[in-house]
Amino acid sequence: MNRWEIAALVVIAAAVPCLAVCVLADISAALAAVEVSATLAVTALMLLSQGFHRQPFVDLAVVLALVSTVGSLTFARMMERDL
Amino acid sequence: MSGVANAIPTVLLVLGVGVELIAVLGVCVMRDVFDRLHYVGLAGFGALLVGVSILWAESFSLIGDKALLTGVLMVIMGPVLVHATARSLRTRARGDWADGIEEHREDGA
Repeated sequence: MNRWEIAALVVIAAAVPCLAVCVLADISAALAAVEVSATLAVTALMLLSQGFHRQPFVDLAVVLALVSTVGSLTFARMMERDL
Repeated sequence: MSGVANAIPTVLLVLGVGVELIAVLGVCVMRDVFDRLHYVGLAGFGALLVGVSILWAESFSLIGDKALLTGVLMVIMGPVLVHATARSLRTRARGDWADGIEEHREDGA
């Protein structure tokens, strides 16, 4: 394993506590955890792209950065009411 | 010189992953949701450091350019996301996000 793959493994493992917050904490805290875990997923895709030298993975990271932001904004908007 | 140039991406990578780990720790241990939201913006800077690390290692290649673009996107969108989420949570709690602001101003004056 090279340094990029090790870093990707650490970042993926760091998503586990965020998942625990999503499951155990209230819905407001879960939204914050989802937003952080989306950033972790984007970073992991960048690191895997560099580690495996696969260019399509970095395209996934760019798309995920945009889509996850829109998704989180949608969740935040829906939480104003009774979600 | 070559050794130093090779070490810089590793240092940036460790810093970036470290910042993201701090963000995860903050989201997990903070009590209030508004305290937790501070760490959403911080995680974006970790992604930017990782992107700069990849850019330094690969120079301006396809992967390097897009990694930098992704990091910049995360840094720019982080505060937007934090603001929108905080505003929504305040609206959820009070019915209107501006509710109570005037009283707070009068108390402070």
